[in-house]
Amino acid sequence: MLRTEEFTLNMGPQHPATHGVFRLILHLDGETIVKAEPVLGYLHRGIEKLAESRTYTQVIPYTDRLDYLAAMLNNLGYVQAVEKMIGVEVPERAEYIRVIVSEMSRIASHCIATGAYALDLGGFTGFMYPFREREKLMDMFEMICGSRMTFSYIRVGGVAADLPEEFYPAIKKFLQEFPSCVDEYDGLITGNEIFQARTKGIGILPAEKAVKYSLSGPVLRGSGVKYDLRKARPYGIYDRFDFEVPVGKNGDCFDRYYCRILEMRQSHRIIKQALEQLQELPEGPVMAKVPKVLKPPKGDVYHEIEGAKGILGYYVVSDGTVNPYRVHVRRPSFINLDLIDEMCRGWKIADVVAILGSIDIVLGEVDC
Amino acid sequence: MENLFVNTAGSIRNIMENSGLSPLLSDAVLVMFKLLAILVFVLINALWLVYMERKIAGYIQCRYGPNRVGPKGLLQTTADIGKLISKEIIIPRGADKILFLLSPALIFAPPLMVFMVVPFGENMAAVELNIGVFYFLAVASLSTVIFWMAGWASNNKYSLLGGMRVVAQMISYELPMVLAILGVVMITGTLNMSEIIRAQENTWFIFTQPVAFLIYFIAGVAECNRAPFDLAEGESEIVAGPFTEYSGMGFAMFFLAEYANMVLVSFMAATLFLGGWLAPFGLTFIPGWIWMLLKVYVLIFLFMWLRWTYPRIRVDQLMGFGWKVLVPLSLANIFVTGVAIKVLDMIGW
Amino acid sequence: MQMFGSGLIKGLAITWKELFTKKVTVQYPDEIYPLPDRFHGKFKLNKDACISCGMCVRACPNKVITMETETVARKKRLLKYTMDIKYCLFCGLCVEACPKNALGYVKDFELAQYKRDKLTVVLAAEEPLPREEKERLEAEAAQRAAAAKKAAGARGGSAFGNKAEGGE
Repeated sequence: MLRTEEFTLNMGPQHPATHGVFRLILHLDGETIVKAEPVLGYLHRGIEKLAESRTYTQVIPYTDRLDYLAAMLNNLGYVQAVEKMIGVEVPERAEYIRVIVSEMSRIASHCIATGAYALDLGGFTGFMYPFREREKLMDMFEMICGSRMTFSYIRVGGVAADLPEEFYPAIKKFLQEFPSCVDEYDGLITGNEIFQARTKGIGILPAEKAVKYSLSGPVLRGSGVKYDLRKARPYGIYDRFDFEVPVGKNGDCFDRYYCRILEMRQSHRIIKQALEQLQELPEGPVMAKVPKVLKPPKGDVYHEIEGAKGILGYYVVSDGTVNPYRVHVRRPSFINLDLIDEMCRGWKIADVVAILGSIDIVLGEVDC
Repeated sequence: MENLFVNTAGSIRNIMENSGLSPLLSDAVLVMFKLLAILVFVLINALWLVYMERKIAGYIQCRYGPNRVGPKGLLQTTADIGKLISKEIIIPRGADKILFLLSPALIFAPPLMVFMVVPFGENMAAVELNIGVFYFLAVASLSTVIFWMAGWASNNKYSLLGGMRVVAQMISYELPMVLAILGVVMITGTLNMSEIIRAQENTWFIFTQPVAFLIYFIAGVAECNRAPFDLAEGESEIVAGPFTEYSGMGFAMFFLAEYANMVLVSFMAATLFLGGWLAPFGLTFIPGWIWMLLKVYVLIFLFMWLRWTYPRIRVDQLMGFGWKVLVPLSLANIFVTGVAIKVLDMIGW
Repeated sequence: MQMFGSGLIKGLAITWKELFTKKVTVQYPDEIYPLPDRFHGKFKLNKDACISCGMCVRACPNKVITMETETVARKKRLLKYTMDIKYCLFCGLCVEACPKNALGYVKDFELAQYKRDKLTVVLAAEEPLPREEKERLEAEAAQRAAAAKKAAGARGGSAFGNKAEGGE
């Protein structure tokens, strides 16, 4: 009788498909996964600790570097947490701008998720098309706040500056073009039979399990749980917009992927509405009256928003000084990774790539 | 024009005979000349195809592709090869040195050997072999061994997985390919490639054997390890498969061999199904060898177009597709062809 | 139910169409993408407008900015203003903090350097004033102050004094 032996394959931290410096130790039986051990921390920068020696405003640039693909949403989560602490009323105009930029950020992040997923499955062209649209978004971000990725645009009490004039024609053109671009992704990636064969029925995540492990974002919704904080517990002015929460059915890789495509369309709807409502608003301040040096009262606050990857929560503790006593971030990518071992078991190496890509992790956020 | 190369060969031979060489010796020298010409042809093609591939990929992806080195970036591949030659060849500590160095050296041998029997135009095969198709099938599959050698000798887990995939994939796609070609061979009754082309004087076999062409093409893509069947390389899964540990010129050899293989498979497809050097619509003023090249390049474009559109299939799906779809389909094709030949014979068509 | 393979054909159609669409590449060194006005690039400092208040130094989350000043005649004078760009996050907090808009951006993103020490950007480097000059300025200032006092006295008390008078 031949004796077969498992062998371990070290996937990462430098591997083309681990979306950064993620390491996965795979125990293989041939090409079949017996066990997958994630090893984290290669991009740990200690942002939570760094925040303790910065003032409340100075933490904002650091939140950019968590999920650097959707930095606006990170800004928003933190800033809203601090605002909750000091109890400041944000001007109407700033609220609308916040919605517009954060939904733009969500689209940008989902563009990467879609493109990178196509690349993970070997379709390089599917990677370039979403990036093309993302580039347009980045150009607009650059107009708004001068940076392409790390914005630091949303500030405690509002936003750093009003939208510039040149932004309006750009976003209108984008909104007009974007649906046809998503159709293109649908045609090239979603509808492709090879892609479907690679993703349908792979890495199934049952809804109960997803809830039990507190997964969130498209990963949770892909399993059929209709839970989106923008609807469930609207923060900011999200209750003013009409949009749907797309959900999947089977909880497989395809559903998770397709949720993102549908969410891009919904975000597009939100931006459109927000832009219309914003243009009806009179000119006004975009920044509330907040003191230059923030000194929130003693206490703690937890605030969560629907980030691009899931529920993004900030827990901020104040001891009454200018620096936060503790900042903790609930990073959706990190929590969504919980089930990677279970999801990978029994599948092939190629499926590990598909599963990992469908979770859509950003290592900046996982390792913090 | 039509007989440009044939006449050139003839005049070389004449010169040699006039200068007093024995016919046997001048024949041998002529074959050497032909082989050299094929070598140059294949290498230039490989260089050009790398450029063409990058350009097509670029244009499909809304970018320009290489356009800096030389006019329109034409010297890009040359520059890349120059760079790769100057790079150190790193041999991993645990590698089997001899095999590790041997495989990139040998990788060009099988395609070159097959090119000997490929009819580039009328009377333009270097060697007229009357078992040409058989020879092609036998020699082309030798590259499996070389890929496996590379994968094994690297002593790397990714390479090993890649090597295994190559073997599994090539063997399972060899079969439908052979069976698809069998349909053509049944009609013509010959294994000589030039004669197969002459048999297509009236209709190309793509019209009488469309299923066989499709199977051959799919199997051909798989044979060349190109997307959507590029599992052996599978850069997002197993880094670079058997080539993971190769650097410098070793890597470049594998890279260029992929294109040489692609040219070969396209030449075979053009020969077997697209009428080789035969001109369609009576456009005979264009020389046959240009027609041949044209057909080959259309097929190569198709290869590239597929590659830059489709994602990669999974390893078990690939095997399933090969054994459960292509093999039965090709067997059915043989059956139908056989029945049709018999029936047509009976009604005396 | 769609026919199997229709998705494959559609994909090919899309890539075929894209083969002929306009390319989006910006040919970088030949063609520079127009940068927006708010672009966060290289820093510039208007030395004359700077009042050496140090707001930017305090606003920086990464202690990128160092500032050396000297006080001449109760007025801060900027001596050296350096930014350690390798630690800069380009968040823009310093520029926003500047009360006199002395700090700003240049539309230039080519900040790469061959040497690590070249990454430190010196935006202002002035020699400290020589001692005589300093003394002269201080004396002048004192003189001016005295003159002002005198003038105010001649007009019948300072502004503060006037106010006090009005209160009576």
